Amino acid sequence: MASSFCSSIFMQAPISAKTTRFSLQKPVSIFNNRKTNLSFSLHRRSMPARLAVSCAVKQETVEKVSEIVKKQLSLTDDQKVTAGTKFTELGADSLDTVEIVMGLEEEFGITMAEERAKEIATVQQAAELIEELVQEKTA
Amino acid sequence: MAAPFTLRKIGVPPNSANLTEARRRVFDFFRAACRSIPTIMDIYNLQDIVAPSQLRYAISAQIRNNAHITDPKVIDLLIFKGMEELTDIVDHAKQRHHIIGQYVVGEGLVQNTGNKDQGKTDFLKNFYTSNYF
Repeated sequence: MASSFCSSIFMQAPISAKTTRFSLQKPVSIFNNRKTNLSFSLHRRSMPARLAVSCAVKQETVEKVSEIVKKQLSLTDDQKVTAGTKFTELGADSLDTVEIVMGLEEEFGITMAEERAKEIATVQQAAELIEELVQEKTA
Repeated sequence: MAAPFTLRKIGVPPNSANLTEARRRVFDFFRAACRSIPTIMDIYNLQDIVAPSQLRYAISAQIRNNAHITDPKVIDLLIFKGMEELTDIVDHAKQRHHIIGQYVVGEGLVQNTGNKDQGKTDFLKNFYTSNYF
């Protein structure tokens, strides 16, 4: 539901860009006023990064992360890796955690700052950070 | 693609005050090494031979080899030597067969003694320490 709201914002932004070009014509301007107001308020709401983070983490990101974690720690198939699993539960020490983070950097083509990477303790946090960085990169 | 990582040569920093700072330096060194891996694979044409994850494993294995050390100054020295090795590799001062022999997992050209076991028998232990026993 949250993701559809996100996509609806992006949908309306290009439309408002086209209509502003015709703002000089009278009949369109009345119609336009409503639309530009709407677009401005929407634009303001889409600015803060809060909106991007509040969108749910994609399942495929979580799966890719779990895949990398499994390979790194050489886990057997019956050891379940879910979104909430902590790396230390799976038998990883601090060096393993850093190595997992580096593996994720390589996989997704991002660079994580050291302070943020230190906070990562579960698969969920890693997936969230990755999504944030990927969105910043493509934005 | 993220901006390519360049290894910046900084002068020798002062010794770490405690184990926490030494630990932080170890991780910084590890991160620098891992981020240089794409460059290394490019320089020595290792694309067909080894995957980046294997190189990461080799680096972490070398670090884990010395994981039992608790003195921050010793850790600093080990990091310094590691940094020296990394700089040599990135500067193309080594050759392909060196990298393959030392870091691509396998028998290798150089026998890895690992943790130097001082001889499994008492005889050998005494032998290594002195001539007379």
